[in-house]
Amino acid sequence: MAKLGILALRWLVCFFTLASLHTGKHTQCLILLFYLVFYGFLAALFSFTMWAMLQTLNDDIPKYRDQIPSPGLMVFPKPVSALDFSFSLSDSESYQGYIDDLKKFLKPYGLEEQKNLTNCTSGAFFDQKGPEYTACQFPLALLEACSGVDDPTFGYQEGKPCILVKMNRIIGLKPQGQPRIDCIAKSESTAFLATYPANGTIDLKYFPYYGKKLHGSYLQPLVAVQLSFGSDGDAKEVMVECKIDGSPNLKTQNDRDKFLGRVAFKITMHA
Amino acid sequence: QTEVKCTALLIKTKDGYHVDDHKLSKEELETKYGTNIITGLSSARAAELLAQHGPNSLTPPKETPEIIKFLKQMVGGFSILLWIGAILCWIAYGIQYSHDQSSSLDNVYLGSVLALVVILTGVFAYYQEAKSTNIMSSFQKMIPQQALVIRDSEKKTIPADQLVVGDIVEIKGGDQVPADVRLLSTQGCKVDNSSVTGESEPQARSCEFTHESPLETKNIAFFSTTCLEGTATAMVINTGDRTIIGQIASLASRVEDSKTPIAIEIEHFVHIVAGVAVSIGIIFFIIAVSMKYYVLDSIIFLIGIIVANVPEGLLATVTVTLSLTAKRMAKKNCLVKNLEAVETLGSTSIICSDKTGTLTQNRMTVAHLWFDHQIFVADTSENHSNQVFDQSSATWASLSKIITLCNRAEFRPGQESVPIMKKIVVGDASETALLKFSEVMLGNVMDIRKRNRKVAEIPFNSTNKFQLSIHETEDPDDKRFLMVMKGAPERILEKCSTIMVNGQEQPLDRSTAEAFHTAYMELGGIGERVLGFCHLYLPTDEFPETYSFDVETMNFPTSNFCFVGLLSMIDPPRSTVPDAVTKCRSAGIKVIMVTGDHPITAKAIAKSVGIISANSETVEDIAKRLNLPVEQVNKQDAKAAVVTGMELKDMSPEQLDEILANHSEIVFARTSPQQKLIIVEGCQRQDAVVAVTGDGVNDSPALKKADIGIAMGIAGSDAARNAADMVLLDDNFASIVTGVEEGRLIFDNLKKTIAYTLTKNIAELCPFLIYIIAGLPLPIGTITILFIDLGTDIIPSIALAYEKAESDIMNRKPRHKKKDRLVNAPLALYSYLHIGLMQALGAFITYFTVYAQHGFLPSTILNLRVEWENDNVNDLEDSYGQEWTRYQRKYLEWTGYTAFFVSIMIQQIADLIIRKTRRNSTFQQGLFRNKIVWVGIASQIIIALILSYGLGSIQALNFTMIRPQYWFVAVPHAVLIWVYDEVRKLFIRLFPGSWWDKNMYY
Repeated sequence: MAKLGILALRWLVCFFTLASLHTGKHTQCLILLFYLVFYGFLAALFSFTMWAMLQTLNDDIPKYRDQIPSPGLMVFPKPVSALDFSFSLSDSESYQGYIDDLKKFLKPYGLEEQKNLTNCTSGAFFDQKGPEYTACQFPLALLEACSGVDDPTFGYQEGKPCILVKMNRIIGLKPQGQPRIDCIAKSESTAFLATYPANGTIDLKYFPYYGKKLHGSYLQPLVAVQLSFGSDGDAKEVMVECKIDGSPNLKTQNDRDKFLGRVAFKITMHA
Repeated sequence: QTEVKCTALLIKTKDGYHVDDHKLSKEELETKYGTNIITGLSSARAAELLAQHGPNSLTPPKETPEIIKFLKQMVGGFSILLWIGAILCWIAYGIQYSHDQSSSLDNVYLGSVLALVVILTGVFAYYQEAKSTNIMSSFQKMIPQQALVIRDSEKKTIPADQLVVGDIVEIKGGDQVPADVRLLSTQGCKVDNSSVTGESEPQARSCEFTHESPLETKNIAFFSTTCLEGTATAMVINTGDRTIIGQIASLASRVEDSKTPIAIEIEHFVHIVAGVAVSIGIIFFIIAVSMKYYVLDSIIFLIGIIVANVPEGLLATVTVTLSLTAKRMAKKNCLVKNLEAVETLGSTSIICSDKTGTLTQNRMTVAHLWFDHQIFVADTSENHSNQVFDQSSATWASLSKIITLCNRAEFRPGQESVPIMKKIVVGDASETALLKFSEVMLGNVMDIRKRNRKVAEIPFNSTNKFQLSIHETEDPDDKRFLMVMKGAPERILEKCSTIMVNGQEQPLDRSTAEAFHTAYMELGGIGERVLGFCHLYLPTDEFPETYSFDVETMNFPTSNFCFVGLLSMIDPPRSTVPDAVTKCRSAGIKVIMVTGDHPITAKAIAKSVGIISANSETVEDIAKRLNLPVEQVNKQDAKAAVVTGMELKDMSPEQLDEILANHSEIVFARTSPQQKLIIVEGCQRQDAVVAVTGDGVNDSPALKKADIGIAMGIAGSDAARNAADMVLLDDNFASIVTGVEEGRLIFDNLKKTIAYTLTKNIAELCPFLIYIIAGLPLPIGTITILFIDLGTDIIPSIALAYEKAESDIMNRKPRHKKKDRLVNAPLALYSYLHIGLMQALGAFITYFTVYAQHGFLPSTILNLRVEWENDNVNDLEDSYGQEWTRYQRKYLEWTGYTAFFVSIMIQQIADLIIRKTRRNSTFQQGLFRNKIVWVGIASQIIIALILSYGLGSIQALNFTMIRPQYWFVAVPHAVLIWVYDEVRKLFIRLFPGSWWDKNMYY
């Protein structure tokens, strides 16, 4: 090693003495060579540092989870822009996209897919020690009318559209109390709002989440919201606000984050 | 082009001075100006004329209106780019608003912040400029000059600026001529016309019309010249700006102000940076558009790139740096009027200096004595403290008595506590010199004079060329009268028949006469004014105590005196000047003396201060040595040249160029102030940066024309100070040299400041480029960048102005205006592509660390930008399966900003330390010698701490409280930067002249 160092040093000195004798074309080459070596070194250094940094990380859970202490709420299907669902009762094309989206989203919840999952005890955390982690079943039947089993159009055809509300996954999160998703409809026209499972309950057995790698088959609990407009023809518009309730450690009030523990969306149904 | 025009204008001014009043008789004058020689103008008429022609004073040059100065600051430098950025921001918001009324106000904030930045830096620069201009106003108020005028048949003293054409004024010795006047009656009137014609010899003035040209005729005296002696009554024929001086002064305002070298350098630098900013901005705008980004987004990228590229705080920093140096120079008696002149002085390659007062002490001083066949040297230093010549000889006793007695000069009373050399004397220059000399040598002169009562006296006049007085002796037993006489040596010798040697009178034979001549020639040859001294004791039998002497009939002998000695005087060089000239020489600065004095005197002073070095010869000297006619001497052999105004007059510009190029030591003698302008132009044709000193109104065109005009604070006129860029408070040449040193230092330190400031631009720019190309979440926000540029980086970059010179800056050549740029390729490349890139990498490591440790691995965030920034995606999955709301991501993004910001800051500390030197190791320079640098480092850290932990909750600023360990992620890179730069400097020192040196030394 020492020998190599001396060799390199001697080469370097030669390099410089040569360089100081010759000018012109050689200089251009030397500069090019220099940048090549210099940038090569920097690239190697950067790669090495990145590699070393990545080595310090845990594959299973991120080092810090303090930036997402509390989950956000999100709805399915995802409208094109903003959270504004709009469809026309008479035009099946207008809601076909929503239906496809829901179907796609609920695919992992199919009976076939849940076959290997555990039927866990309700009302308690499903703590696991590993090394094998398993996920709890979330039977689609819990979503009742919105499961898509009885009505493949998820109620859209009847003017009773279903929207799924889900809580963002956060590794290690253990909600306190009895978390449920509480939705209210705000509109002038009377619309009937139903949540499935009843009361919007989220069972504790779906917590905690152990991360994508360990807990690959994890199914997050869902709550469906169904609005019944009735089919009397006029355009109807309703604002729905959902938020987590009954769990003191899940925050729902943040002036800046409008999706922290809550979600608001608008459904407009045309005749 | 302008140079030629300038000189031509000047000549035209002189030719164009059409006055024919000198040809008119008194009666014709009376009718022409409607006045009466006996009664003068009536007050009413005078008031009328005053209203018509305006006051008799020179109009000061037009000031640029303050609002224009202010607006210039608002649009100068990078301001235009930032204004464009701000306007783009507002346009972007306008587009957003038209699409979505609830769109965020971020762009409005950013636009306003950018506008605010421009306005604040503009106000700051304006304030700095105004402050330095204010220094000058202290000079503006001079005591108004008074004039004695006859109006309404009464003599009145009125302020000179109230004079009107047709006024009859009375002028006496010592007065300044209050306007251009036609003399009506004179008594022994002499004027010093040096400020108009350059002749320093007193000019006699009478009422006769002697010459066609108004400039030559004897019956006209000019505004601002001095009446040396005699009295005169005169009629005002021109006032204010219509006087010849007024016309020359107004010429100065027509000489265009050329840009200072540093202004050119900064402009060059601004062009480089703006060019880089705009071209990268446009390239990436095009890339962004072709990558199918929205035009709106592309505009926002463009703004980010501009903001990242423009060192917003730099110009303000440069202003502060310059004003700090200006302050330092003010302490050393150089008052800088125009901040940029600070550096101009540093790049000066030729100084055209006045002689009198600047190189010399501006007072006649006894330099040599000759008695007992020997030349003695007198001390001519500022305080005369060290007179070492032999004073034991009896001849000295006699000589000193003559010096003391044959002298009409007196100290003004009430100066007992003032040192002798500083006392004010009533009397002419030579007599003052003799009085002070004898006071120093003998003690109380007034007392000696009292003891040797004067009984008769003939004052000096130009026909006699001697001065004589008769005294009683102080010895009560000796009843003889002592006659003492001094005057032009040859005239004195004529009147002598004996000579005193060692106190004994000896007959004046041929050999003694020859010895006298040799001494006289020797002293005269070194430019000194020589006076001869002799005395005669009158025998008591012929001249008893009661004898009444009559100076009209001269009832006393005026020959057969005893010659005692010679004494020579010179206006000696200031003691600090020779040293300063040597310094200039080693600093590669050519010093040219420009004086109205006689060539011999000029050459002698030039030799004694080293402007002409001891062993160099002029063409004339060589001719004399080789016994050749002057024409046959090879002009290339002569290092030195003495050029007179007469010769200069007949020279073509090419001939002048040849002289300036071929001789390294040049003295211009007997030149008029106008010729100074020609000399300055000649020097500028040699691509030199020229500094010129001047004091008279007549110097103002040259002062204005020079790259840096230096006016005298003591002797200078208002016009000169107005035209100058700098004022020397002590009129001392040596102060210029200290100024040069400061100017050079500031140039070096500005390089360091700029290199320091430019470096982080890459670290600020790369995030945007990577963001556009690789679609990563934005690593650093525009506002955050502004906090680096205008927050953490400001004090450190000013701190570099306090850095001491790395080597003796006065030992190298002045920088070449066109070759040694402030910002050169190595500086830009090294800052951008070496240190800047390293900084960017260091900061990116921090960025990736922050994202990875919070769940977003590098592979995940690649091309994540669209989803990441989508406000409707509130369940974005990270590498570990967790889902993030938009705000949670935003907060993480801000954490990223803060960490990136801190990383740049940490690496800028290393950058600051390496920028302390350009060639030497920072350890050679001393890490702790410049305390301000450490203040700067502390300020960086404190500002970053406040921003991260103090203002973390202010959303608009996009700072969060980051984990303490993120402060240290970039530390290895900071160390690497330091080590790398030490290696660079080591190789520069080891291999001077190698390609490394050429490419890496900035």
